[in-house]
Amino acid sequence: MSHHIDMEDHAEPEPVLLSKHAKNLLRFLNLLPARMASHDNTRSTIVFFAVCGLDVLNSLHLVPPQQRQDIIDWIYGGLVVPRDNEKNCGGFMGCRAMVPKTEDAALLECMRKYQWGHLAMTYTSIAVLVTLGDDLSRLDRRSIVDGVAAVQKAEGSFGACIDGSEDDMRFVYCAAAICHMLDYWGDVDKEAMYQFIMRSLRYDYGFSQELEGEAHGGTTFCALAALHLSGQLKRLDADTVERMKRWLIFRQMDGFQGRPNKPVDTCYSFWIGASLCILDGFELTDYAKNREYILSTQDKLIGGFAKWPQATPDPFHTYLGLCGLAFTGEPGLSAVNPSLNMSMAACVHLKHLHEQWHSRNGRGDDDTGLSSAAQQHLKLAKEPEAMTTATTTSTSPLIQAQ
Amino acid sequence: MGDSSDEEYLGTDWLPYSARSEWADVEPLAQDDGTNPVVSIAYSQMFREVFDYMRAVIARGEKSQRALDLTTDALRLNPANYTVWQYRRDILRELKADLNAELDYLSEVIGQNAKNYQVWHHRRVIVEMLNDPSNELELTENALVNDGDAKNYHAWQHRQWAIRTFNLYDDELNFVDRLISEDQRNNSAWNQRFFVIKHFGFSPDLIQRELTYTMNRIRIIKNNESAWNYLVGVMRQGGKGQGLSSYPEVVAFVEEIYQAGNRSPYLLAFLVDLYQEQALNQKVSQSDQLARKVYGLCEELSTKHDVIRRKYWQYVATHLKNQLSKAAEQQQEQQH
Repeated sequence: MSHHIDMEDHAEPEPVLLSKHAKNLLRFLNLLPARMASHDNTRSTIVFFAVCGLDVLNSLHLVPPQQRQDIIDWIYGGLVVPRDNEKNCGGFMGCRAMVPKTEDAALLECMRKYQWGHLAMTYTSIAVLVTLGDDLSRLDRRSIVDGVAAVQKAEGSFGACIDGSEDDMRFVYCAAAICHMLDYWGDVDKEAMYQFIMRSLRYDYGFSQELEGEAHGGTTFCALAALHLSGQLKRLDADTVERMKRWLIFRQMDGFQGRPNKPVDTCYSFWIGASLCILDGFELTDYAKNREYILSTQDKLIGGFAKWPQATPDPFHTYLGLCGLAFTGEPGLSAVNPSLNMSMAACVHLKHLHEQWHSRNGRGDDDTGLSSAAQQHLKLAKEPEAMTTATTTSTSPLIQAQ
Repeated sequence: MGDSSDEEYLGTDWLPYSARSEWADVEPLAQDDGTNPVVSIAYSQMFREVFDYMRAVIARGEKSQRALDLTTDALRLNPANYTVWQYRRDILRELKADLNAELDYLSEVIGQNAKNYQVWHHRRVIVEMLNDPSNELELTENALVNDGDAKNYHAWQHRQWAIRTFNLYDDELNFVDRLISEDQRNNSAWNQRFFVIKHFGFSPDLIQRELTYTMNRIRIIKNNESAWNYLVGVMRQGGKGQGLSSYPEVVAFVEEIYQAGNRSPYLLAFLVDLYQEQALNQKVSQSDQLARKVYGLCEELSTKHDVIRRKYWQYVATHLKNQLSKAAEQQQEQQH
């Protein structure tokens, strides 16, 4: 390599290999190698990273129409709708390990006892559907939110599913994201949720996974985004917000770390970056250093980002690396909504769905139980007002983001 | 998002279920992944077979010793399958199985999957069922100390749960002190220290003792965020109105290391907070000198000692200016 070219390499910032990242993510939508079998239960999160990543790359057109439909159909195939006499386990499954290929009604019936929606899979499934432009008409919002309320614990935290799950801040976030996306909170206790979140605020002003655990970047994102999505961010006083910003800002080394005295990792460019966006403090970070670190984890051969330089890239770090770059206004990437962790374009589509639901139901959720005749009457009488309601009374960050 | 496979564990002498006479009565059940699945995993032959039998057993509702053994195989192949863990618990309850044997099995599984949520959750449920936490401190100590990751979040979380649930606080401070001595930058250990002290109650004596402890640590390593965060965290436990200025010995200590030439960003940040607090608590006419100290420190930080956060420190200075001018306006309004 000539000296001249070397000089140029230093003068030009390293490019984000947009089309390589798109190809990398597209590959994950197809067939995954056997060594990824331990991700079997979270297949819908892989779809989420790939689809939302392609969206942030402005490359969703690379998914052919048939495959787009296949993704939507596969996601809906994981929808669990409990019957009246069954537990409130509504929501999406992230895999099909508990779905047997059989016509035997007795076997299928017995299997239902172990088919539950999972909050993280429900959140990512809905996000994928919205990102692909689906109208969510195949899901019953009430049944899903009943499932969310059913896994809320007395102290305000959430488990992932009706049986056999730990409960912590990750699922608090998922619960808030689901209810926000479905524009319906049903029996979810927002006050208890708030109390749990605030009890998990630590002495250094980061949030822990639960109660008095160590403050952590990922859980701090979950806590702040849940407060934001549930319209409770404004309950924080000004001093508290400034101290949170301090903890978050101090996570930047070049990229970001998740805890004090831990190594940096690409994914924290999202978790910490998004947290700072929510608190309106992201512009206080060093964009160039952040970018430099993320790009040091870019795989120039096969695309994708890894957690560390020279490590193997994966869809999780690829997607979160792209979102981290999007916050800095990287050319070629579309804007990302920090709280919902999907593109602003997808959020605009979601807002349109909310408006449709509102106008269809008159004043919204309170009327979901009305007869169709009554709804029709309301619609005729209240349409202009309902439209106003939809755009002014929501605490939605989507609207603030417009 | 690491990849893992325990196929090697199951070994070369592993006999397929379809070749085992004791399983001849069970018809394996394939997974129904829909007509055009996406993100399909090219399951190995072994993975496919084990889960085909697993589905068959769950669909029959069979809760037996062989079903329990089958979950062991399935969970080796995919320890993240939370439904299989739940089914395993349902079998254990049904069989009234020896839960101490389950704990032994789990100690081994946790040793190999120390960062998997499901294994720790299973451990928690089994300990609750046994109502016996006597192995939990040793288990987590192994995960934190002997096996190497002293910052393993899952292990700390489990340890806190056991201590909180079964009131095992008594010796914890010794453990924490040992870990802090081994690595003063172990933020998890500092957090655990806070958790223990808070349980005993932040009395004035205890606050004093903790401040001394932390200052001694900072004397050894000054540029350690964990210790500084702990110091400030303890100082704010004194109740309402107890700011950083309420502890003159700490203020003297910090100013002394500043005078001695140390410019750790954490030290400077402490002084920024201290002078800012003092400036805002003064009458406007007297706040000027303190405010100038803050601006000077912010300038020092943003140009020399913490350049990566330059925009933040400029913001801190501007924020204080705005707060002070607002206070001045309010004071003027009151005078009129």
